[in-house]
Amino acid sequence: MRLIHTCSGLLSIIGAAFLLATAHALIVQPVNLDAPVLTGADAPVVGDPNRANRNISPGKVPDTAPADPEVGDETESDPVGTPAGTNDGSADSGAADSGQGGDPLDALLDAPVPEGMLTLRQSRKLWEESAYFIDARHEDEYLDGHIMYASWLTATLFDTDSDRAFAVVESMPPDATVVIYCVGGECDASKNVAARLQQIGFTDLRVMGVGYEEWAVAGFETEKGQP
Amino acid sequence: MSRDRIPTTSMSESILLQLPLRVALGGVFLFAAYNKIPAIQSFAEAIKGFRVIDAEAHPELIIIAAFVIPWFELIAGLMLVLGLRARSAALGLALLLVVFMAGLLNVIFGGIDANCSCFGDTKFPCGSTVGWCQVIRNLVLLIPAGYLLWRGPGRVSLDRLCEKPDQTPEPVIQFDDSASRTVDHDAARA
Repeated sequence: MRLIHTCSGLLSIIGAAFLLATAHALIVQPVNLDAPVLTGADAPVVGDPNRANRNISPGKVPDTAPADPEVGDETESDPVGTPAGTNDGSADSGAADSGQGGDPLDALLDAPVPEGMLTLRQSRKLWEESAYFIDARHEDEYLDGHIMYASWLTATLFDTDSDRAFAVVESMPPDATVVIYCVGGECDASKNVAARLQQIGFTDLRVMGVGYEEWAVAGFETEKGQP
Repeated sequence: MSRDRIPTTSMSESILLQLPLRVALGGVFLFAAYNKIPAIQSFAEAIKGFRVIDAEAHPELIIIAAFVIPWFELIAGLMLVLGLRARSAALGLALLLVVFMAGLLNVIFGGIDANCSCFGDTKFPCGSTVGWCQVIRNLVLLIPAGYLLWRGPGRVSLDRLCEKPDQTPEPVIQFDDSASRTVDHDAARA
C-alpha cells in the first residue's frame, strides 16, 4: 500500500513537472540544437586589424603539408584542404624548420580531424592571418593557458553572464573570421559556441578539430591569464 | 495497512536526522533547478554532450528532458524540504540520481569531454567537466534519499500535519483463544 501511495505521488510530481515545463517552453526562446554551419578553411579571412599590427613571428609552419613522393603534389590526407593563396614567404622558412615526411611536428600539424574542422596547420595559418580566436573551455583552463590573443567565451556564459558574453561578441565584427577551439577530440563546447554566434549573426565560423594541448605541444604562442 | 503511513520515528530522530536530511537533499536539488531553469539552452547542450540520446535522430527528446528535469528537481526538492509526499519526492530524486550516474558513466567510459551542467556553471563541489567526482557525489546523495525513502519524512513534516484521523494506527485485534475455550465448556455443560 505504501508503495502504491509513493508511486502515485511520484506520478503527480512528474505530471506537475511536465505541466510547468510546457508552460516554460511556451514562454522562453526555443531551444536550438542544430549543428552550426562552418566555413571551409580556404575562405578569405577577415582578421583583427589591431592584431595585424602586432609583432607576430610567422614562418614556423608551412602553408601546406610536405609533398608525399608517392602521391605527387596532391594532399588528399588533408580532409578540409589547405588555405589557397596564402603563401606569404613563410612557407619556405617553415619548410626548412619542419623538415621532411617523418617529422613529428608534421604529423601533429596534419593529424586527421572531423570533417569540416581545421587541422592544426590550418588553424595556425588563420592565427597568423589575425583571425579572431575563441577559447570555449572552462574558465580555469583558459586562465591556466590559452592560445595567444584568444578570448574566453562559452555557450553557458550567454545564459549566466550575458553582459560578459556580449562584451566578447561586440569586440568582433559580424563578418569576422572566428576560430573556436576547446580541448579537441570529442569536445562539443566549441560547436556550441559556434551555434550561438551563428544565431547572433556571425557568418564566418571555423572550429579547430584539435585542442589547446596540441597547439601548445607544437610550440606555438600561448599566454596565461586574461589577454 | 495504516501502519505504513505513520512514521514510526521518534521526535528526536525526526528533528536531528530526518529534517536536516530533507532540507539538505531538497536544498541541493532546489539549487540545481535554480541554476538550470534560466539556462535551458545550456542544459540541453549539456544533455546532448552526454551522447546518451542521438541528437540528430531525436532532438525533441533532449529538449523535453532539458525542460522537464529542472522543474522536476524544483518540485521534488520543494516537497522534500516541506515534507509533503516526501517518500515520493525521495524516490523520484533517487531515480534521477541513478539516471544521472548512468549518463556520467557513459561519458567517462566513452572518453567524452562533456560539461556536467549539474548546477549550471557552479562547481559544487566538483568541476564542470564530467569525472568520477560527480559519480561519487551522486552516490553520496543517494544515501539520504534512500534513508528518507525508507524512514519517511519524520514527525516535523507536512505529511504528518495532513494525516487524517482515520489514518491513525488501528488497534491490533488479537484472537483470544481462551474465550472460545470458555464457550466450549459452557456448551459441554449444557
